[in-house]
Amino acid sequence: MTEAPNQHPGSDGNGERYEHLTPLFHELAALSPDDPEHAKLRETLVTRHLPVAKHIARRFGNRGESQEDLTQVATLGLIKAVDRFDPTHGADFLSFAVPTIMGEVRRHFRDTGWAVRVPRRLQEMHLAISSATSELSQSLGRAPTPRELAERLEVPLEQVFEGLAASNAYRSASLDEMLLDDETVSLGDSIGREEPELEIVEYRETLQPLLAQLPERDRQILLLRFFGNLTQTQIAKRIGVSQMHVSRLLSRTLARLREAAE
Amino acid sequence: MSAQSPTQQNGSAALAPHSVEVRVAALPHQLPVLRGIAGDIAMREDFDLDSIEDLRLAVDEVCSTLIRLAMPDATLVCRYDVAESALRVVASVVSASSTGPRTDTFGWRVLTTLTSSIDSTVETRDDGLSVVQVELVKQRGTAVAE
Repeated sequence: MTEAPNQHPGSDGNGERYEHLTPLFHELAALSPDDPEHAKLRETLVTRHLPVAKHIARRFGNRGESQEDLTQVATLGLIKAVDRFDPTHGADFLSFAVPTIMGEVRRHFRDTGWAVRVPRRLQEMHLAISSATSELSQSLGRAPTPRELAERLEVPLEQVFEGLAASNAYRSASLDEMLLDDETVSLGDSIGREEPELEIVEYRETLQPLLAQLPERDRQILLLRFFGNLTQTQIAKRIGVSQMHVSRLLSRTLARLREAAE
Repeated sequence: MSAQSPTQQNGSAALAPHSVEVRVAALPHQLPVLRGIAGDIAMREDFDLDSIEDLRLAVDEVCSTLIRLAMPDATLVCRYDVAESALRVVASVVSASSTGPRTDTFGWRVLTTLTSSIDSTVETRDDGLSVVQVELVKQRGTAVAE
């Protein structure tokens, strides 16, 4: 890559490469979406702007996502940009498309959780461990050990260790992200009402207001673990997420409660 | 795997072949290191994944409790002992408090759920300060509740 990393893809001397496409956006806007010509023109615009998407995808490279995946995500962003761009507003397409595409790629990183640089190989091991863990938990009736995972996956134990360590990197990275998210997802109905004997804790007066502030799902997981005495694996099965996710949510909730109790 | 008194641990004592002892400033930013070691040892000892996570959470909880009790500039000493059927973590800190961690809190309940056994001791030193020590044991395969 010869361009400076922070250069705007449209201002690197190739901007004029796309200028001649501007009239096509006016044509596109004039066509009905049902018109076969509309689909054709849309495809042309996406194809001709593909270098922009690829350029952005390259800039997000080497962060643990494959270049193919990134290009695909960036292309998705480009398609969105083509669909949403309004040529009558006077702005040029690139100044609209670049933030849209970058937003799509950023969202991808946020959703997949790998905010830190983790080699592809380890991410794949993390995924393999994650699915083997669900399968083995099912058949064993408890969480598997690293040795059992290594046997199932037919890899050396040391590779499982590496994969588990990578899972922790995944976790800590996405933990910070999640603290910013205001999750309003309510899984209360699928979990069922459980208000186990809170009176056991003498200081429920201080605990209860804290619990009330937690998002419904976090609170339920906490109660199931510490009052229902279910294991993380059992909770995971119950609410339909992975054990790793339960673990992530639990440690976040405990940290939150500690901070609030200070 | 014999227990040491809090003052012994906070001084220097011989380590068993499979023990690990770390000394860090009693500050919250050291928590990831301390739980990381717990998780790594449990993983290499082939604890099941639930137990590994329980241990990480427990060490986090214990050490943050001790950090709150610690004197300014205190050192947190954390020892990890491996036995055939269990992993024991002993953490201690020098504190101005002579009462140790409260056991009527939600945090302590969390700890009793996550571990096979948990106990705290306080030993007063000659200088009037105390060494607060928490010892937790996690038996192999105890993450299965029912």
